[in-house]
Amino acid sequence: MTTSQTSAAEPITASSKKKKKTESFEAVPKKPLTPIQKLIYAFLVVISVTYIAPLLWVFNVSFKTNKEIFTSPFALPENITFENYSFAWTAGRLGIATLNSFLVCVITLILSMVIGSMAAFGIARMRWKGAKLALTYFLTGMMIPVHCVLIPLFTRFAKIGLSNSIAGLILPYLTFALPITIFIMTGFFESMPNELIECACMEGANIFQIFYIICLPLGRTGLFVTGLMTFIGNWNELLLAMVFISDDAKKTLPVSLSKFVGPYNTNYSQMFAAIIIAIIPTIIVYCAFSNQIVDGLTSGAVKG
Amino acid sequence: MDKLLRNKKAIAFFMLPAFILFTLVLFIPIVQSVYYSFCDYKGITAPVFIGLDNYKNLLSDKTFGIALKNSFFFLIFSCVSQLIIGLFYAALLTNIQKGRNAFKNIIYLPCVLSSAALGLLWMFIFSPKLGISQLLEKWGVENPPLWLMDTKGTIILPMWVIAFVSLWQYVGQSMMLYMAQISGISKSLFEASYIDGCTKAMTFRHITLPLIRPMVATAMSLNAIGSLKFFDLIFNMTEGGPNHKTEVLATHLYQQGFKYFKYGYASAIGVVLLILCLLVTLFINKLVKTEQYEM
Amino acid sequence: MKKRRLLATILSAAMLATSLVGCGGTSGGESGGGSTGGSSGGSEASGGGSEGVQEISWMFWDDLNATEDLISLGYKDTIERFNKDYEGKYHVTPITTNLEEYYNKLNALVAAGETPDVFIVSPGPQLTDYVAPGYAAPLDEYLNKDGWKDTFTSDAVFTQQTYDGKIYAVPLNTAAACCFYNKEMFEAAGASVPTNWDEMIAACDKLQAAGYTPVTISAGTAWCLSMVAGYLCEAEGVDLAKLADGSASWEDGKLESACNKLLKFSEYFQRTAAGDTNDVATANFYNGEAAMLIQGSWAIGQINGQSPDFEEKCGVFQFPGVDRIIAKSDSLCMSSTTKCPEGSAAFIKYFTDDTAQKYTAEKGGKIPVTKVQYDASAAPKQLGDVMNIFSNAKGTFGFYNESLPTTEAGAHFDDTMVAVFLKDMTPADAAKDMEEYYKANCRK
Repeated sequence: MTTSQTSAAEPITASSKKKKKTESFEAVPKKPLTPIQKLIYAFLVVISVTYIAPLLWVFNVSFKTNKEIFTSPFALPENITFENYSFAWTAGRLGIATLNSFLVCVITLILSMVIGSMAAFGIARMRWKGAKLALTYFLTGMMIPVHCVLIPLFTRFAKIGLSNSIAGLILPYLTFALPITIFIMTGFFESMPNELIECACMEGANIFQIFYIICLPLGRTGLFVTGLMTFIGNWNELLLAMVFISDDAKKTLPVSLSKFVGPYNTNYSQMFAAIIIAIIPTIIVYCAFSNQIVDGLTSGAVKG
Repeated sequence: MDKLLRNKKAIAFFMLPAFILFTLVLFIPIVQSVYYSFCDYKGITAPVFIGLDNYKNLLSDKTFGIALKNSFFFLIFSCVSQLIIGLFYAALLTNIQKGRNAFKNIIYLPCVLSSAALGLLWMFIFSPKLGISQLLEKWGVENPPLWLMDTKGTIILPMWVIAFVSLWQYVGQSMMLYMAQISGISKSLFEASYIDGCTKAMTFRHITLPLIRPMVATAMSLNAIGSLKFFDLIFNMTEGGPNHKTEVLATHLYQQGFKYFKYGYASAIGVVLLILCLLVTLFINKLVKTEQYEM
Repeated sequence: MKKRRLLATILSAAMLATSLVGCGGTSGGESGGGSTGGSSGGSEASGGGSEGVQEISWMFWDDLNATEDLISLGYKDTIERFNKDYEGKYHVTPITTNLEEYYNKLNALVAAGETPDVFIVSPGPQLTDYVAPGYAAPLDEYLNKDGWKDTFTSDAVFTQQTYDGKIYAVPLNTAAACCFYNKEMFEAAGASVPTNWDEMIAACDKLQAAGYTPVTISAGTAWCLSMVAGYLCEAEGVDLAKLADGSASWEDGKLESACNKLLKFSEYFQRTAAGDTNDVATANFYNGEAAMLIQGSWAIGQINGQSPDFEEKCGVFQFPGVDRIIAKSDSLCMSSTTKCPEGSAAFIKYFTDDTAQKYTAEKGGKIPVTKVQYDASAAPKQLGDVMNIFSNAKGTFGFYNESLPTTEAGAHFDDTMVAVFLKDMTPADAAKDMEEYYKANCRK
């Protein structure tokens, strides 16, 4: 909501009688900030500090030696070394873990988009009686917490040789990404005008062409939103990855990080470096596309 | 055209991959999980049907009691705190023009970060020798609280700390949901109310709040389900300690299933968790419906 | 109508597919319950190697390539020696995990009928978990051959590995739980090495009066605290065997008075004991923040590794007031379904040969299980003290969490002791709780 000047004036005069002190400075020529707005800004800055300070603190100490952390905890590091980082990267196997995470997430992302939008198209556009039922069937999946299927999946995967493999991780990730993908994409496909498909029909396109050439590109906003949710969700997933993968070379980022840092170690500065390594890719991507990411995830959440 | 859209082969082609995957990886395991919960199943031996024994044992399992209590605490705390703080942030942000995006993005940032990493980060910040304790020491506070190690009280301090961290991490999402809804409210409504002599607070109370009530339900259901599934933060901040006092259903399930290999017993915990999730979803869905009628 | 039939077709197809997998799941589970699926035995996966080289898989709880643990590095050497000596005949491939996930992964392999040929296990209920269903093979046949068994210090080293007169695992080394102390702090406080419980408390008082934290301990890692509780129980004369068969009760006052001692002792712990993990508590000791650490002798490697100067300052004494000491040994089991029992046995034997055992003492700082001669001056200083304590002790007993009837009973004991320490439970309640737990879960 944006408050136009005239409408904002009324309530502000009421309260500005109480708080007149901050009026003199900060005279922005166009729209002078009202005291309440100043208060809001001050408050928001404090809030932002609580969000940024912890990250900055960890970033700062990750360059220190273990001793420095205790002798001068809040000063800048005496000399910047990347030893902590190289140690965390190699001994913590965070490099290979990042690669694994990337692999798992990208494959899951692509598969979930393909399989999910296919099913969504089948539900939204194809004419058959079970469509509603099928949608309900998929949607119940949204209510099911992953913990409930952990044990049966684990025991079965162990039996068919899927435990401790990337494929064994992708399968449940993919499955748990499907409900939201199908739900959102069904909405998108349903909202497309009938005429489009009719037109394509007349031109002689077959059903797969209609899906692939016409509907899918039109639903790319939906694909972006679901893809984003799937990717971020899986990138950060810990429990499944921890249970299913025991081979160090196949672990994903959250697992390797948790195992490396864990509550067991006392080489703090290296642990901090590991944490930074784990979150920095996300932060960089987020900084570059923050608006799209925030809006995409929010619209996804609204629909879900 | 109709023929094209009724092509059985095409329907099968579109639906089958998702359907098979869903059935194999989700529904059959759920059924199995329910079956296991009635079994004595210890990992390396085959499941043996024992009826309700696992559920009976749950009742006498003290840690399960604590886990259930803690899960409910997180459920209530996150619903209430996210509602209040999220709405508050949204109200603040909608009242400013400049820099709104920047503040919004900063507050939303932790939502996209791995809660495993953030859990570790906060674990260090609250550890007795680092972070906050160092800061308090610098300010001359003697014997600062032990934060994650304290054990006194019905809801112990570590629980509040973890609840605070989860609020810190996820409040951005609630805030965004409310903001999306507020910006959807027609401007003329606000203007009309101001012309009628309403103060901002009154407008918020009588126009904004009622109109975003459906979104409150949506955000709440997200929070509620999320807090029941709570695992990463606890696992990395306290691992359920000290002495299982910060255990929640998910961590207890993990411990019983993958530390003691009591697959049957852990499945019973999973079934309880599933039922809770279904109940909460149904309850909130009902809430949404009635509220939509009100509008 | 047609659509319905299509749906039915899809459904039945899916059902068929699921039931196939479902069947696979169930039947696998059943065969796991009996004897493990013979067809998919251990060495099959790696059996592709041609020219008659037999593959042996060995499962271990540390990553041999990344580890800094000296004992694990010694094992790595042993494997390399074995592979070299038996080139063309046997080849060992390690399967490694980290400690927390070890049993998880091992059980998964066992359930899948792919039990590793040789695997490491802690003696106690964990070993029983593999011996009772027949996953571990008896090893007497191999031990009695070529005088292998005679190289061990005594037959007593096999006590914990023997079931019904048969030995199911071979111990590799022994560690004993002792009190490590900071000599400088003891001197500065005028405290002397205690020989009984009252002297222990007196020493703690002196240390505290001198401004030191007397004891660093971890209650965050429950077994660390429970180890001290185990010693206190031993001093009170708690008899675990009688408790297990029901001829004694936890409520006979012994546990209660042990808990009372623990509570008294806890006044000397560092402030953060409730949450500190094992590593943090040990770090407190070698960083000079506390005067005493009660820990297994494996901590020697960690202490000397992290703080080399500390070796000089670090003394060791036996936990006061007890005759026996807590000891623990890593043990190797052989799968009962191994395709290559001879090779596996030969491989296990390599861990107890002179080279390996010498390394155990001189580099690893653990007590060897065989009669090997080693260079005491090359070994860490503390090891000599530990050896003296070990040889003077009237016997050994296991960690309580590994000596109770089940793994879970051990964990329950740990948790109960931590609850007493946190004052969530009175000592009397703790005794009652243990007795109730035993009645419900351990006695038949």
